[in-house]
Amino acid sequence: MANDPWNQWKAFAEQTARAVPGALPIAELAGRFAAAARAYLEKSSQAPQSAADEAAAAFGNFLRDQAMACCRFPWSADSGGTAPAPWGPMADLPALGLSREHQQRWQRMADAALRVADAQRRLQTLWSDALRDAAAEFAARLSAGAGASDQADAHAPGSPRDAEARGSAALRRLYDSWIDCAERAYAAIAHSEPFSSALADFVNAGSSWRREFTASIEHGSKLIDLPTRGEINSLNARLMAVEEQLRTARRQPAAAAKRRPGPKAARASGVPAGRRARAKRAPRS
Amino acid sequence: MTPAGLYAALASASRCTPGCSDKDVVWQSGKLRLYRYRPLERSRARRSAAVPLLIVYALVNRPYMMDLQEDRSLIRGLLEQGLDVYLIDWGYPDGADRFITLGDYIDGLLGACVERILSAHGLRALNLLGVCQGGVFSLCYAALHPERVRNLVTMVTPVDFHTPDDLLSKWVRHIDVPAWVAKGNVPGDALNQLFLSLMPFRLSHQKYMDLFMDAPTQAQADTFMRVEQWIFDSPDQAGAAFEEFVISMYQENRLARNQLTINGRQVDLRTLKRPVLNLIGTKDHLVPPAASLALGPLVGSKDYTALEFALGHIGMYISARAQHEVPPAIARWLAQR
Repeated sequence: MANDPWNQWKAFAEQTARAVPGALPIAELAGRFAAAARAYLEKSSQAPQSAADEAAAAFGNFLRDQAMACCRFPWSADSGGTAPAPWGPMADLPALGLSREHQQRWQRMADAALRVADAQRRLQTLWSDALRDAAAEFAARLSAGAGASDQADAHAPGSPRDAEARGSAALRRLYDSWIDCAERAYAAIAHSEPFSSALADFVNAGSSWRREFTASIEHGSKLIDLPTRGEINSLNARLMAVEEQLRTARRQPAAAAKRRPGPKAARASGVPAGRRARAKRAPRS
Repeated sequence: MTPAGLYAALASASRCTPGCSDKDVVWQSGKLRLYRYRPLERSRARRSAAVPLLIVYALVNRPYMMDLQEDRSLIRGLLEQGLDVYLIDWGYPDGADRFITLGDYIDGLLGACVERILSAHGLRALNLLGVCQGGVFSLCYAALHPERVRNLVTMVTPVDFHTPDDLLSKWVRHIDVPAWVAKGNVPGDALNQLFLSLMPFRLSHQKYMDLFMDAPTQAQADTFMRVEQWIFDSPDQAGAAFEEFVISMYQENRLARNQLTINGRQVDLRTLKRPVLNLIGTKDHLVPPAASLALGPLVGSKDYTALEFALGHIGMYISARAQHEVPPAIARWLAQR
């Protein structure tokens, strides 16, 4: 147990799950990974090459499915996989009369929600492609013999304790290799123009939806005379303007004092500096 | 370590607090605190003659990463070298700070910190060390106020935001930033999600597996949890400054093109004639090395040095190797000028 990180992980997650029931799937995930990796090592060392390739592909696919289920991004929400229900004829309903502004706002919100869902689906597809590529590369690595040392490690003779340690080391190398493949495949997709474009559409549509939603909230707040964020922003802007005026006003006397002659000059002329300035400004009669 | 032991170690480590060196608040304005670090006993004599070094940290994370714990502290390393170290802590912006601009941060707050230090020491110029986004601020300040900066050190600082391997830049290029910010602040959690998305498998999964596999001691668990705290202790970003930064830097790459303006004044890196030391992490996934190395041909200084370390973005401050290499390199370079 002490040398087997997967069992440690599982036991740790089970302990955490006592406090946080939601942690239990993590424990199950650890168990599933360890079981799948050991099954792969078992099959790949005993079977002919074609069966070994099949085992590698099955293991890669297993990891892809796990990552798909576990990595949670804004674009991997459950709604991402299915097309959202269209708003139907209401989407184009001409806005007339007293409620036209509100209706248009809700129509814009619905349109933004559709665009969010569309971008989310595109991102989900790209994410799925990345995981598919990762699984393919991982399986290819295993088939090409990168996992040979893992297999040898896992099955080398020795004491049961040594075997357990070697087995754990083999599992860790498999895990690290999977992470390498996954990051490489993800980076290739994440750097692509379709990904940037879909991500921007996702964020921009979300911003549009939030803007309309905020407008609705502000409208409701005004009806019950609650202050709105727009009003607070307005007050904030006024306060900043007043602060700037104050800073400017403070700077001006200081600058004027610098321009004024010092006490020595004032004494030399026999006229106090302030009075001298006023005297200069006084119109000649 | 058994799972129960690891659980207990991490639970205990959750109560660890980052920061190890003694410091005093020497000035504050709003949420900003300017700290001066007390000298270490063994380097006290050397410090008296040192020109103060002001560390300008980024807005996106907390500056205690510079002084995480005794054996992982860039600041402690600098103190051991006899340097007189100041640090700006920008604080946690709230809703009332949403209209703070880059000009307010660079010309206003950073400028005021510099003036306070110069006034206290009776000097005309100090040494500036900018880290990551703080490095960009330092470059801007030094270009706008060259007479106030004696030597400039930039650390993991992006300058060219359009290098081919800059993933963040690619992601934000088509985003409608004003609509995204919407005159509000940008939540720190949103930025964390963005940063984790750069390498999701390593940062959200493998990192924790490594923790289990390496059977950490209590001390290692403490370090892990301190770093974990730092990673996710992300202040919200003042909306106006964030919007300006993303548009000017990530979308329009204005700093590298000498087209950036702060409070109506052009930031022209060619006016930077003072000595510049540029520290780069060659394994940095946040600020690609090429983004930092672009600084060399852009500055007007004839005394420009780039030092590369085979470290990542965070490793530049807290790795064991960084402790031995980075502070002495900074101190040596400063001592020669």
